[in-house]
Amino acid sequence: MKNKGMFSAIVSANEKNSEQFYKLELVFDGDGAQQFARARAGQFAELDLANCKLPQAENIPDDLKDSANRKILLRRPFSFSDVKAAGDKTNVEILYCAVGPATLRMTTLAKGDCVSVLGPLGNGFSLPDDKSKAVLVAGGSGAGPIMHLAKQIKADSPNVEINVFVGAATREKLPFENCWFDKLTTGGAKTTVATDDGSAGNKGFVTDCVLNWLNENKSAASETIIYGCGPEAMLKVLAEIAAEKGIDCEVSMERVMACGFGVCQGCAVECKINGSDKTIYKMCCKDGPVFNAKEIVFKTKV
Amino acid sequence: MKNEIDISIDFAGVELANPVFTASGTCGYADELSDFVNLDSLGGFITKSITQNPRKGNPAPRIVETDSGMLNAIGLANIGLEKFIEEKLPTLEKFSAAVFVNLAGKSIDEYVDVAKRLANEKSLAGFELNISCPNVAEGGIHFGTDPVQVAKITAAVKKAVGEKILMVKLSPSVTDISQIAKAAIEAGADAISMLNTFTAMAIDIETRKPILANKTGGLSGPAIKPIALYMVNKVYNEVAKKYKIPILGGGGIRSAKDAIEFIIAGATAVSVGTASFIEPNCTAKIVDGIKNYCSRKKVKSITELTGSLEV
Ligand SMILES: Cc1cc2nc3c(=O)[nH]c(=O)nc-3n(C[C@H](O)[C@H](O)[C@H](O)COP(=O)(O)OP(=O)(O)OC[C@H]3O[C@@H](n4cnc5c(N)ncnc54)[C@H](O)[C@@H]3O)c2cc1C
Ligand SMILES: Cc1cc2nc3c(=O)[nH]c(=O)nc-3n(C[C@H](O)[C@H](O)[C@H](O)COP(=O)(O)O)c2cc1C
Ligand code: FES
Repeated sequence: MKNKGMFSAIVSANEKNSEQFYKLELVFDGDGAQQFARARAGQFAELDLANCKLPQAENIPDDLKDSANRKILLRRPFSFSDVKAAGDKTNVEILYCAVGPATLRMTTLAKGDCVSVLGPLGNGFSLPDDKSKAVLVAGGSGAGPIMHLAKQIKADSPNVEINVFVGAATREKLPFENCWFDKLTTGGAKTTVATDDGSAGNKGFVTDCVLNWLNENKSAASETIIYGCGPEAMLKVLAEIAAEKGIDCEVSMERVMACGFGVCQGCAVECKINGSDKTIYKMCCKDGPVFNAKEIVFKTKV
Repeated sequence: MKNEIDISIDFAGVELANPVFTASGTCGYADELSDFVNLDSLGGFITKSITQNPRKGNPAPRIVETDSGMLNAIGLANIGLEKFIEEKLPTLEKFSAAVFVNLAGKSIDEYVDVAKRLANEKSLAGFELNISCPNVAEGGIHFGTDPVQVAKITAAVKKAVGEKILMVKLSPSVTDISQIAKAAIEAGADAISMLNTFTAMAIDIETRKPILANKTGGLSGPAIKPIALYMVNKVYNEVAKKYKIPILGGGGIRSAKDAIEFIIAGATAVSVGTASFIEPNCTAKIVDGIKNYCSRKKVKSITELTGSLEV
């Protein structure tokens, strides 16, 4: 049986979740419902946003005014923040930021609209079955899949202690007002917030919080796993921390994608061959987007 | 009783169920695409370029979207000849579509070696000679811009492929494309494939740097369609018609209407590339759309449309 395909989904909600983030909820039925019900945290879908309307001129942020009218050709990749099977339907939630013409148009999707979706694509995070502690680190628009992963670990590996770290430049750029934070906390996950300017949570980089936490909560390296999703610079630091402490680490990488399913060879991620200096390019969409952090040659200028 | 419209064609001696091909490099080696489209609905399938040894390709970013198009600088990343034979040929053998292997290389010898090795594969209908890749330092487009070189490489590879069909894939980045087409045909090409991408660039104004790591890339997608259409018509009128050589035309095709325009302009068959990224089943939709057109217009054989432009 096929495990992915092209489906039309119906929008059930699309709302602003915080200053920066929107939450899109899609409903699949039929084959799409079956295939998306099995979607793992870290997998993604390609959405066709080319025919979405632009927002009213006064609702277009200043920094996007110049590029807003650009014609969209390619689909855009998004991971999931939650997937819920309900009877013969599957609800998929996407947490996203408006950063350019396609995501700006995405904000105008309204209840009842139809969206063409390819997916579920790529490989998700592995579950921490042989670990006792999971450290989940989200930066910027990487919050969605980390939220999804926290839920999956809670459901599938209930004995694992979940520690979530969320970083952003400022309070306004956090992925939630309070709801998500509360939900995770009441669900038993410990959540630490860091902002560069200290306007919410700890002041400084989220990776510093992770390092402090690891130093304070000493446990066998083999008992812990780190998961990261966010800007490549953050993932690079996480990978270094993990390597130094001998902790397993999985990171979700982003590349500009043309196809999303492995045919165009566009989304190259440089990977080491068996820990040597020799490298090959793997495809972010098909071999990833989740990789073992040890493999990756991170871009130095990010 | 069959009332199914017949849109089969004879393409340089090969019988094809319909005139729709996938373009090289946009459908891999077919395995990934089969999740989204029934590949038996295609007329022809063209593989990603194959070189003798595996090629790593260019660093990221390799792609950038532009208005109604995209630039790519993949750099002919591919698994190499041996792995292709071992891992990919067996899947391709199962298709009813005619399979063509796209050949690339750094030297005429490399093209010839790869062609020889595959010339006896029963499952292959033929080859597409890529002398038009804009994204590699050696070989590629350098073979495709000088008529003398074009003739030399075409003759050498034609000898190597024996009975199999050889299409030569042209670059639009030349002064007179008809001259290149003529050189290829006179040197033995059985068909002309056009077009490869246009050399182009995109700039990040914040950093003042090119967006692609390779600095330049090849432009494909709807943005190139009107130019590709013009060039197909030009080569048809000036060269292909006289020599009775078929053209595989394409560049920016995403609908049956686009495909039919190319056929009217002079193409015997059409290739679809970038559109498959957005709608992986668009080739099957184009096949259906061509059938509808033929039935509506009472076209008995699709070949009567080729070059039927009224002027
Ligand atoms: C596997 C994967 C999963 C993703 N999941 C999410 C998600 O859950 N939520 C979310 O908000 N975004 C996610 N993204 C990023 C999202 O795809 C981009 O923000 C989107 O493509 C931008 O399109 P645009 O036309 O609005 O902007 P564009 O004009 O294409 O780009 C505007 C700016 O956004 C940035 N950008 C563009 N493409 C990417 C990209 N692929 N990755 C990172 N930054 C980019 C660049 O800085 C660019 O200058 C994901 C990307 C990948 C590859
Ligand atoms: C991502 C990408 C990779 C490509 N790779 C190859 C290749 O390996 N060999 C080749 O001959 N052409 C290659 N092409 C060119 C296409 O086969 C086609 O000629 C071109 O894209 C124009 O058609 P389109 O507008 O329908 O895409 C590639 C095009 C794209 C977009
Ligand atoms: S986006 Fe096409 S191969 Fe990954």
